[in-house]
Amino acid sequence: RRGSSFSSPVVDPAACSHVNGFKVDNWKQNLRVIYRCFVWSGSAETRKRKAKSCVCHVCGAHLSRLHSCLYCVFFGCFAKKHIHEHAKSKRHNLAIDLLYGGIYCFVCQDYIYDKDMEQIAKEEQRKAWKLQAHLFAPAGIGERYSTWEPTKRELELLQHNPKRRRITTNCTIGLRGLINLGNTCFMNCIVQALTHTPLLRDFFLSDRHKCEMKPNSCLVCEMSQLFQEFYSGHRSPHIPFRLLHLVWTHARHLAGYEQQDAHEFLIAALDVLHRHCKGDDNGKKANNPNHCNCIIDQIFTGGLQSDVTCQVCHGVSTTIDPFWDISLDLPGSSTPFWPLSPGSDGSVVNGESQMSGATTLTDCLRRFTRPEHLGSSAKIKCSGCHSYQESTKQLTMKKLPIVACFHLKRFEHSAKLRRKITTYVSFPLELDMTPFMASSKESRMNGQYQQSMDTLNNDNKYSLFAVVNHQGTLESGHYTTFIRQHKDQWFKCDDAIITKASIKDVLDSEGYLLFYHKQFLEYE
Amino acid sequence: MSKESQLRALVNQKLIEMGERERLKELLRARLIECGWKDQLKAHCKDVIREKDSEHVTVEDLVAEITPKGRALVPDSVKKELLQRIRAFLAQHATL
Repeated sequence: RRGSSFSSPVVDPAACSHVNGFKVDNWKQNLRVIYRCFVWSGSAETRKRKAKSCVCHVCGAHLSRLHSCLYCVFFGCFAKKHIHEHAKSKRHNLAIDLLYGGIYCFVCQDYIYDKDMEQIAKEEQRKAWKLQAHLFAPAGIGERYSTWEPTKRELELLQHNPKRRRITTNCTIGLRGLINLGNTCFMNCIVQALTHTPLLRDFFLSDRHKCEMKPNSCLVCEMSQLFQEFYSGHRSPHIPFRLLHLVWTHARHLAGYEQQDAHEFLIAALDVLHRHCKGDDNGKKANNPNHCNCIIDQIFTGGLQSDVTCQVCHGVSTTIDPFWDISLDLPGSSTPFWPLSPGSDGSVVNGESQMSGATTLTDCLRRFTRPEHLGSSAKIKCSGCHSYQESTKQLTMKKLPIVACFHLKRFEHSAKLRRKITTYVSFPLELDMTPFMASSKESRMNGQYQQSMDTLNNDNKYSLFAVVNHQGTLESGHYTTFIRQHKDQWFKCDDAIITKASIKDVLDSEGYLLFYHKQFLEYE
Repeated sequence: MSKESQLRALVNQKLIEMGERERLKELLRARLIECGWKDQLKAHCKDVIREKDSEHVTVEDLVAEITPKGRALVPDSVKKELLQRIRAFLAQHATL
């Protein structure tokens, strides 16, 4: 009979019966001591002891995969078989690897995995790690990554569903066309962008949504279904009729068969998703829009700082508002578009070359974050002066979202005219938002554009992953999306048709909605 | 034991005592994951197991098969960084 007398009737193939000889008396405590002293030495005292005593008793070496006998105090090299000799002569059949903590059985001639011993090993490792956590922080190593261990339920699920999908570097899983249900490309293009937002994809594919709404009325559930469809491996285009119906139900202003604005759809969709996320580990803060912790807020919400400076007393009044996107005015619009600030000299910024005066995304962001003089007709009440004074207002980024969406305001709906601005705006593959941060504001105040010297600051670096384009006029137009798959592959999604695209295709396109993803994610 | 191995043992002792060995191990682990070394070797292990085809591939079998490749695949930048750290550590604790 294999296994210890404590095991369940199911035979564990990784266990060996030779540990039974060891598992007597106070073996658990003894094993803990061995782990604590010689494998994972957490305290200074155990480290000192380890440093002194962990050498091979035969040859004095410390580097040849040292093992400790489990039955007596003996350390021997594994590589030079000194521990093997000991095991044979003393008939001590178990040894522990001092580097990784694995238990070796000389009878089985392999490492064995006893559940109880593994449990002890894990606990001791965690304890030692905790003791040493302060030593690792300065090295910038951070939280220890522990591999995923399936729960009993997850094991059952895996056993009942044996089919596995293999992801290779050039597989097309996640790519799927969407049927146009009558001018619904405004919805299709956004769906393509969302289904290729990595964090959102991970959230939905790991089933993190817990629904609290009536069946068939929750947009988050429908998104979840959508992700299942996209990653199912089916190559035929998907028909998103349920999604369309839910959107009509929850965002009435978008209902109807006319062409709608993709940007409006994006904001409406994010809003409905945010509202329907009530059940997902929000705690008590679900109803506070400023402190929601739903997946939408975690991914898309940033903080925009507005500083109003009184021109008389120079007192600054600051407010911070949440945002899901940044809408940028373009040259040629009826709002004044300032030329490039005096400091620039055509240098390369953010990988955009400023040839032939083409407007860049950085130009638009610079304009967005420049100090704006609010004229004499728009005086603000200054709490310092206790009267109405002229002031300047400036917007900067206080907190950057994980996914930053830039909306190029191509559609003018002023009283005078309705038109589309087709000016080409060049945008980069990689974007550094550092110059537009509230923290970089000092240099902005001087009216000078200073390139950030802080190249080590990775927090503000973004990568382009989706571009929504609009072709045609205000009256009749069509939306398509470029999305990024794996690291460097781009595809064009035109309703039901998906084609491979080059990076040049993407960067040469007009650009209406630009989706950027943070390059480095921090644990909170 | 030769003078060189004596020195090695002494350095090793100091590294363990000051907790630097653990730090270096974790740093190395992080770097090797970042540069894809871990994934490469994992894939190689799977290939070896598949090739061996037998029910009983031992840890020893794997170690023998993958050690040369593993050693060769470590990027020079990683080696450089570790070496720099060890040098800096020794410089700091020059009483050796």
